[in-house]
Amino acid sequence: MFATLFEKELKAILLSPKFVATFGVCSLLILLSVFIGVQEYKAGVDQYDTAMQLAEQEVREATSWWGVNNRAYRQPNPMQIFASGVNNDIGRLSNISTWTEVKLQQSAYLDNSLFAVFRFIDFTFIVQVVLSLFAILFTYNAINGERESGTLKLTFSNAVPRGQYMLAKFLGAWVGLVVPLLIPITLALLIVVVLQVPMTGVEWSKLLTLIGVSILYFTFFIMLGLLVSALTKRSTVSFLVLLVVWVLFVLILPRAATMAAGQIIEVPSVAEVESQKDRYRTDRWTAYGEERSAKWRERMEPAEGMNEEERTQFLEERRPQWMQEDDDDRQVMQEEIAEFERKVNEDLRNRKAEQERLAFVLSRFSPSSSYQLATMNLAGTNTTLKTRYEESMKAYRTAFAQFVEAKRIEERKKLMEQQRGQRRVMIFGGGEEALDVSELPRYEAPSHTFPEAFGPSVIDVGLLALFSVICFGGAFVSFLRYDVR
Amino acid sequence: METPRPMLEADGLTKRYEDGNLALDHVSFDVYPGQVYAMLGGNGAGKTTAINLFLNFIEPTDGEARVDGIATHKEPLKAKEKLAYVSENVMLYPNFTALQNLDFFARLGGNTKYSKDDYRQVLLRVGLEEEAHNRRLKGYSKGMRQKCGIAISILKNAPAILLDEPTSGLDPKAAVEFIRLLESLREEGKAILMSTHDIFRAKEVADVVGIMNEGNLVMQRSREELVGEDLEKLYVEYMTGYMDEVA
Ligand SMILES: Nc1ncnc2c1ncn2[C@@H]1O[C@H](COP(=O)(O)OP(=O)(O)OP(=O)(O)O)[C@@H](O)[C@H]1O
Ligand SMILES: [Mg+2]
Repeated sequence: MFATLFEKELKAILLSPKFVATFGVCSLLILLSVFIGVQEYKAGVDQYDTAMQLAEQEVREATSWWGVNNRAYRQPNPMQIFASGVNNDIGRLSNISTWTEVKLQQSAYLDNSLFAVFRFIDFTFIVQVVLSLFAILFTYNAINGERESGTLKLTFSNAVPRGQYMLAKFLGAWVGLVVPLLIPITLALLIVVVLQVPMTGVEWSKLLTLIGVSILYFTFFIMLGLLVSALTKRSTVSFLVLLVVWVLFVLILPRAATMAAGQIIEVPSVAEVESQKDRYRTDRWTAYGEERSAKWRERMEPAEGMNEEERTQFLEERRPQWMQEDDDDRQVMQEEIAEFERKVNEDLRNRKAEQERLAFVLSRFSPSSSYQLATMNLAGTNTTLKTRYEESMKAYRTAFAQFVEAKRIEERKKLMEQQRGQRRVMIFGGGEEALDVSELPRYEAPSHTFPEAFGPSVIDVGLLALFSVICFGGAFVSFLRYDVR
Repeated sequence: METPRPMLEADGLTKRYEDGNLALDHVSFDVYPGQVYAMLGGNGAGKTTAINLFLNFIEPTDGEARVDGIATHKEPLKAKEKLAYVSENVMLYPNFTALQNLDFFARLGGNTKYSKDDYRQVLLRVGLEEEAHNRRLKGYSKGMRQKCGIAISILKNAPAILLDEPTSGLDPKAAVEFIRLLESLREEGKAILMSTHDIFRAKEVADVVGIMNEGNLVMQRSREELVGEDLEKLYVEYMTGYMDEVA
């Protein structure tokens, strides 16, 4: 009985005229996106290699350690082919020098804003948007369509248990839709292998997990289609309902969640923060100046009525102490300013993090967001990509600065020795010959292990599974009471 | 002759729909093996409702429908094993061929041993041309679909057959063939409950004729009782008579 039902579902999908068309389009999209993704990745790698060489060359050509600056580049990540995430939005390099802070700059989208408008179509986009529609297209009339066409009546004039029927519906649709999709997916993996994208074992396991999560997401939409088709009597209604739900899940909720989070937790803009810091700094300096004048008047009070000579002496005696006092006060004030700025910065960071957390929590009402978050986490192209790189670049800058500072001291010593006895002494500037930079620390991209990738996506994968189970349970229960006429 | 147990029993069968419409009001009748029972009645008389109750598509408000002694709303799966059904507008899977449709529904009916030849034979028996057997149902006319539906009900080989206006959409030749088919099924000992608007054919084939009106069984006569009677006149009489009574 079950086998018969299952087989029929499978045949119904594979024989339906829309199958070939939709399946063809999906396959083409997947293959195309992976192919283009690989090309872009390779272009990125070439660019990365050239830029690195250029930076190295500049370092090698320097003749003084005082002029040595470096640049650290974000390494292209093969996973960006499948889930580009924020990869194109954040900067690709940062200057590394003792003078400037680490800051990622020159994002791909900033360089090429045309692509920012339409974004990159990657595998996860196709799954998230196209395949979810595909799933709906094949399940929206799974139950009510059979009622409308009268086959449900004929089926249930036989001794068919409803539970078995529903299970066969689901499994038939699942196998009928997922197995064919495994063909383009396998081909896509082949493209990756044939075009020799350097994938490590960790990356392969991330990729396979990503595909698993994609199938789970697809399964959710199959279940959703079944649920709605078992809740409604007419397929036109269920199609409309599903379309609305799809728009909500895929397009509206993720954005609405971000907007709501923005409204609920306000994060001051960079300009606001800067002006806040500025105001504080100016206030403090003004106050400091006024204090100085007041203090000066107070200090000079005893000198009232002294003659010029006495005054000078009075001043000469006290000036070092006063200067010390002033200096101490200034330092205290500057430290307070720095502390204030640190606090403002941290507050900003905290609020941003809080806003982001809230946006994520709210957006998770949509399985589409869950899917996107999970795949971005897996691919390592999530919102922490920036901080991950900035942290590692900061660490690198510290090592770099230490090394360079030491070299500079050495260099100056040497210079002084060379110039011993000369009247005019140069404190900067080196000789003619290039520096030995072989021991200069090299920048290493931060690692991103499988647990680091999968850990944050566990909740989203769990949510997807939960949503799917709820839909199927709902479809099951509602079908037990479904009027087959 | 010792009368066997009825295969189909309507016992005080009552159905009031959710909207309060009393579609069937304590209707009782029996159909024995080897008997054709024809249900006549105007539109909305309650014929389809009665058949749907036998199939447990709807729950009775009162009374019960039994198949071979099994109450359908209590043990629907067991009862349905003994039922074959043809609806007034047979719809099958449009993307499947007649043979594929037959195979699917035969298996659902619990018959897994049929061969393609068996299917062809049944289709020929109900009058479906050979060339149509391998065509998708998409291009079928209503009558052709009806024939397929009848073929499916034969394939199930169930002791009871429920036919809801089975001849709707059949051309006159096919309708005559269908009557022959009913007769042969009766020979095989099937209990057949058929709703129809075709008084003439009903009289020709039916062993018992029941007339329904507004949810009531207003007349029931056996073939012997109908000999020499003008069924059409009776039908009109009962319908209007009942109307007068009500008025
Ligand atoms: N789902 C339903 N909900 C409410 N009322 C219904 C429903 N189905 C049928 N009815 C009503 O029940 C009554 C009997 O309908 P039924 O379909 O059994 O008539 P019928 O004898 O088969 O008529 P026809 O010859 O037109 O097929 C009618 O008044 C109809 O309006
Ligand atoms: Mg009817």
